[in-house]
Amino acid sequence: MSSSQTLAPARAYQATAFTNDYAFSKGGYTLPVYPFVAPAELVTGTVLRHPVVIVGAGITGLTLACALARLGVKAVLLDEDNSVGVKGASSRGICYTQKSLEIFQRLGIYERIAAKGVQWSVGRTFAGHDEVYAFDLRQQSSFQLSEQPPFINIQQFYIEGFLVERIQELGGIDLRWSSRVTDFEQHDGFGTLTVDTPEGSYRIEADTVIDASGSHTPFHEWCGATKQARRGDDRWCIADVRFSNLPPTERHTWIEAPFNDNRAVWQHLMADDVWRIDYQMEPDADPALVSSETEVRKRLHRQFGPDVECEIVWVGPYAYRSQCLDNLHLGGVFFMGDTAKIVSPFGARGGNTGVADADNLAWKLAAVLCGRAGPALLDSYNLERHEAAQQNVLVTNRTARFLRPADGMERVFRTAVIGLARQYPFARQLVNTGRMAVANPYTHSSVCEKSGGLSVQNVQFRWQDASMGCVNDLIQWANGRLLLLVFGDQSAQARHRLASLSSQAPVVCVQVLGADARTQSLETVRDPQGHLQGACHVFGHAWALVRPDAYLAATGEAVDAALVKAIEHALAIA
Amino acid sequence: MRTTLHLQDADGFYEELLDAHHGLTQEQSQLFNARLILLLANQVGDARVLQQCLAAARTEQSVS
Repeated sequence: MSSSQTLAPARAYQATAFTNDYAFSKGGYTLPVYPFVAPAELVTGTVLRHPVVIVGAGITGLTLACALARLGVKAVLLDEDNSVGVKGASSRGICYTQKSLEIFQRLGIYERIAAKGVQWSVGRTFAGHDEVYAFDLRQQSSFQLSEQPPFINIQQFYIEGFLVERIQELGGIDLRWSSRVTDFEQHDGFGTLTVDTPEGSYRIEADTVIDASGSHTPFHEWCGATKQARRGDDRWCIADVRFSNLPPTERHTWIEAPFNDNRAVWQHLMADDVWRIDYQMEPDADPALVSSETEVRKRLHRQFGPDVECEIVWVGPYAYRSQCLDNLHLGGVFFMGDTAKIVSPFGARGGNTGVADADNLAWKLAAVLCGRAGPALLDSYNLERHEAAQQNVLVTNRTARFLRPADGMERVFRTAVIGLARQYPFARQLVNTGRMAVANPYTHSSVCEKSGGLSVQNVQFRWQDASMGCVNDLIQWANGRLLLLVFGDQSAQARHRLASLSSQAPVVCVQVLGADARTQSLETVRDPQGHLQGACHVFGHAWALVRPDAYLAATGEAVDAALVKAIEHALAIA
Repeated sequence: MRTTLHLQDADGFYEELLDAHHGLTQEQSQLFNARLILLLANQVGDARVLQQCLAAARTEQSVS
């Protein structure tokens, strides 16, 4: 059976049935089932040591495994389930940002995501019956230049399924399904995990453990991790539905929806013509009550009219919390995705930042394990991704506070904002229905200069033969090494320095010239419109040191000792 | 934050501010004040000045 068939939704949706936690429908999707294969440890009874063990094959763990596979690093990936998605349910992430899509393009699954998912760029926000404001991301210059669109909406399990197949294609990753980690011990320089499987339990040793097992991780306790957490009384209920007649492909948000007792509502399209309608409920609402099929249908009828015909694919009531670990790297364990931080869903800052966590650590692990970088490079994971985690917690908490203001002055101010927003443009910026995830900048990284720390968009340029290329092609070509882009003509001395840098350091050097400038004795690409230069945030004669995760390590002007220092700094080999 | 007089007509503005609340319920007054604060804050713009104003407004409360 081909992969696209494996992941296609079932034609006949299964009858809805109550479960004791999250959903009343099993989703109506036929999800792939991955077989359990007894590993060597279980067959022979010997305890083997692995350089990298990843726990959790969700979107974060799979992204990490796929990125490692692409860089030629072997790893074991353990997952307690035998499928993608949470126990077969269809919820979790639906909205993937340009940065995530750029990462997926590098990993080789972007085309499948684009073919399956739904692109959108228009968002509209309503209060009562009025539109308060609207945006079109395609009109915003910051999104225009990348090969990837601002957003694609798609059910998370599709991406996970694509990643699994890509990992199998690349090889080098030992994917172990139905393997639940039940114990962990950190020793000097390695950890021991106990793994329960359908055929018994075994132990496995790891130099490095990556915990991507999600919000219920047992590793926090095993590692003594400390964290900051906050929980509110806001309650929501998702209904994923298919309509006979389709609403527009736009993100609609209501702050005060007349059809939901003046509480908030989200409306978003995903793959397979499935719409996610997310209703804000009364504070501390009873999840069982609000997710009963009768109640869900009542809400849908109030919103779309009594005659609307829809199939309910999935229903999930939820409460959210925010949580941020104080340190994402404890002993030999790295935390990423929901084990690093938990945020409310507003702004799509959960899954997308998990993908970025994985992309950040993958090249660093590869560089250190292959001897291209010093071990201190791994310390920068916490500095960079903890800053991002804190920022994402801060931003999503602000949205949550706007959507569920405390009674009293907080509500008065929100009413004032909504009223002013109808009349005055400035107040529309105060309406906060979610600030969409961005590629977080790194401002106090140990391996980025002050001039670095920003993401480089996947913009296009021309190869020497005039065919089009993009930043990811160059990164692919650098294959785990740093990419040094030098813009404009270079003196003979500078060319000599660049040649010796390329031969001595793990750096691939590419000269970027305008349309007509004469080629010099360096690998050359053409940037006639200056898009590549813009993406690197430099002007005129300059260089940009781009990391394998498409972040700038540093930028500068002259090819001199500062560049050499920046390279050593970026790889922690000073 | 400016602490010396910047208003063109101090007494006149004060009177207009009080008059604006005339005939409003407690609730309407609260909403009026909130709208006014947001409008004025956008005139100021400067984040540091706004922080200082917030701090200055708080101090009076803790003193009294």
